Amino acid sequence: MPSSAKPSLEAWNKKLHIYLGLYFLFFLWLFVFTGLLLNHPLWRFAEFWPQRIETSYERSIDRIPAEGDLERAQSVMQQLGLAGEIDWPPKQPGADRLEFSVNRPGNMNRVSVDLAANRASVQHIEINAWGVMHVLHTFSGTRANNPEARRDWSLTTLWVLAMDALAAGLILMVLSSYYMCWRLHPKRRAGSISLAAGVVVCGFFVFGLSWL
Amino acid sequence: MQRIVYRWTRNLHLYCGLFVSPFVLLFAASVFLLNHAHPPAPQATPPPAPTVRAVQVPPGIEKAEGTDRLRLVSEALSQVGVAGEIQFVRFISDERRIVVPVVRPGVETTVDLNLAEGKAEITERRTGLWGAVSYLHRSPGPHNASIRGNWFWTRVWRWLADGTVYLTLFLSLSGIYLWVALRAERRVGLALIAAGALSFGGIVYAVVG
Repeated sequence: MPSSAKPSLEAWNKKLHIYLGLYFLFFLWLFVFTGLLLNHPLWRFAEFWPQRIETSYERSIDRIPAEGDLERAQSVMQQLGLAGEIDWPPKQPGADRLEFSVNRPGNMNRVSVDLAANRASVQHIEINAWGVMHVLHTFSGTRANNPEARRDWSLTTLWVLAMDALAAGLILMVLSSYYMCWRLHPKRRAGSISLAAGVVVCGFFVFGLSWL
Repeated sequence: MQRIVYRWTRNLHLYCGLFVSPFVLLFAASVFLLNHAHPPAPQATPPPAPTVRAVQVPPGIEKAEGTDRLRLVSEALSQVGVAGEIQFVRFISDERRIVVPVVRPGVETTVDLNLAEGKAEITERRTGLWGAVSYLHRSPGPHNASIRGNWFWTRVWRWLADGTVYLTLFLSLSGIYLWVALRAERRVGLALIAAGALSFGGIVYAVVG
């Protein structure tokens, strides 16, 4: 690289580090704070499940498509005015019933439809702000225990894109910090020691523990 | 005085940031895996062949409950050389069996203890690098809180994951302080904070409803 280009690259690298950090500030705070809450489920102040509010109701429905669980569920949701990510039970209870959940951070709706009687019963669960924050951390529309689960709500996709953007932003910030440290000659040795210490500790957990 | 505070903050931001950076990379890279990768269905890959080892069944294991049972199961696991975080303990009383999934980063082991015959059937599955980082991202996590951290290294990882959170918060606050000191970047920086706050608030509002 020509030496005249170096100051420019350094300056842009520093700008990138600052700009990414400032843009993603609120996203970062949400995910680090909720990460802490998820790792400490016994913290009483952040309890949300015992404080949930449950209500139930029944409605008549019509115009259910003859085929396809997803199409039927979407039709029922439209008629009931529900929006969110659809979760399916492992198995449907029978040919004349359709069961699914409609979830979004803050509320869940367990829907059971009697297809013969054209009636839907809904159990609506609302959780508090702590619960909303918990759910936002993991709200991706995928399930580790259900490989078939796919995102079916556009706002889940938007939220996943936001999470991906934050992750990509953090990776770029880390890489830009390595470059900055490398260019800071007086700090290079101490910086390398700090980085090496982090790599050894983290590497032990990623690679070392599988050989115990 | 202000200059000393600035210099200390800058050095701490640099060195703490470099130390915690591998952890940040781990948590950030695994986001893509958790958001987009779908693990293969269990029937898609043939299960690995189990190994069978003799085990001296700890007395009282069938009647013990809660943490006592966990302790006795841990004793049995150490006899057969299985180490890791016990996910849960499933006691099948009519068959006199105890099934225990045990995980450590990169390895998932299922131990099927046959109490009547004093045998342990051990099935080990290596999940590789991505399995390890994905597990570490979710560990210790909110599930089975009463028994979580039953392995020493899970407790250490919980401490490190918490440390990553506190250091990241420190880095973001010290970063703001260092940015404020850079007068040249104030206007752009304020615009970016406002844009970030608006997009964050907008997306959260839309998703939560």
